[in-house]
Amino acid sequence: MTLKNPLDRWGAVSQAFHWVIVVLLVVMAYLGLTMTDLPTSAHKANVYALHKSIGLTILALVLLRLAWRLYAGRPLEVGGMPRWQHRIASLTHAALYLLLFAIPLSGWVINSTSGFPLRWFGLVHVPSIAPRDVALNHLAKETHEVLFWILVATAAVHAAAAIYHHLVQRDATLARMLPRGWLRLRSAEDVPHA
Amino acid sequence: MPRFTALTLLLALALPAAAADYVQAPGSSLAFAGKYQGDVFTGRFPGFSTRLRFDPAQLANASLDVTIPIASATTGNGDYDDNMRGDAFFDAAKFPQAHYTATRFRSLGGNQYAADGTLSLHGVSKPVTLTFTWTPGSQPVLTGKATVKRLDFGIGGGDFADTSVIPDAVAVSTKVIFQPAK
Repeated sequence: MTLKNPLDRWGAVSQAFHWVIVVLLVVMAYLGLTMTDLPTSAHKANVYALHKSIGLTILALVLLRLAWRLYAGRPLEVGGMPRWQHRIASLTHAALYLLLFAIPLSGWVINSTSGFPLRWFGLVHVPSIAPRDVALNHLAKETHEVLFWILVATAAVHAAAAIYHHLVQRDATLARMLPRGWLRLRSAEDVPHA
Repeated sequence: MPRFTALTLLLALALPAAAADYVQAPGSSLAFAGKYQGDVFTGRFPGFSTRLRFDPAQLANASLDVTIPIASATTGNGDYDDNMRGDAFFDAAKFPQAHYTATRFRSLGGNQYAADGTLSLHGVSKPVTLTFTWTPGSQPVLTGKATVKRLDFGIGGGDFADTSVIPDAVAVSTKVIFQPAK
């Protein structure tokens, strides 16, 4: 198993970063979309605390992921793809990284400006990054929500492109972000012609 | 001069008692501290008022009476205050005042004392002990502490009964500056 990224595919560490963050994002979307309607209670406080803890975790993971990418490099671009597709893919990836920073940070600002406690999984006190401020709090809340929906749209484009490349283009775009052998690449010749 | 003697006697009896009757002077404070999700929060009860009869030499005659408005209790955090004053906690609309009275005082040695009193809060009356330091003077100062178990008084007893989110014990501290009652 290769830890660093070989030229033709993503290595195990990059894959783990990718998929762990995907799973956490799904959990976060569920928590974030349901928690605001909960009746005020200790349960609600605990759900919010979980959302905040996972959000801080994602922020840390994205930092580590970028550091790893700088250290371990990235595979060559998948061959046989038109230039404009590479451009769009790169832009999408850049947008995803930006959003994965901006969304947790805006959440952190929401918490800081409201003055609520912040402890990572109840263990480590996390400091405020903004003063208590009602106007900034509202702005951060709106930003957090709008950026979330932009992330949903961007991730949908990203996933749809990966699936399109796998099923229609039959290239390694999706397979190389998964452990070797999980997805079988059928070459065009294998497919019976209509 | 029987009348003069009687008056002197009355004054002699009345003066020591009057000297030990106090009302609260400006600069006094009544504060509380609890924890929410592991972080300490503090608050205060502006507008509380205290009456005290206290003479270290006559503890049997001592009495303390504190009236605490609830609707103005504040932590300085609007989100906290709205919830704290609301029906999940203090329910200030229904229970606008708390009351603490004590008539049993004990000496703890030196200038330390304890008052075994009763706190009436949120429709519940339970014993609460106030331990305090008494600093005598023309404006004597009482510096005291008490622990109030919020769940004993049904504060946040329903949806906030989980003591891992908000512990049961709330620390109350007070510094009351007194002036002689007129």
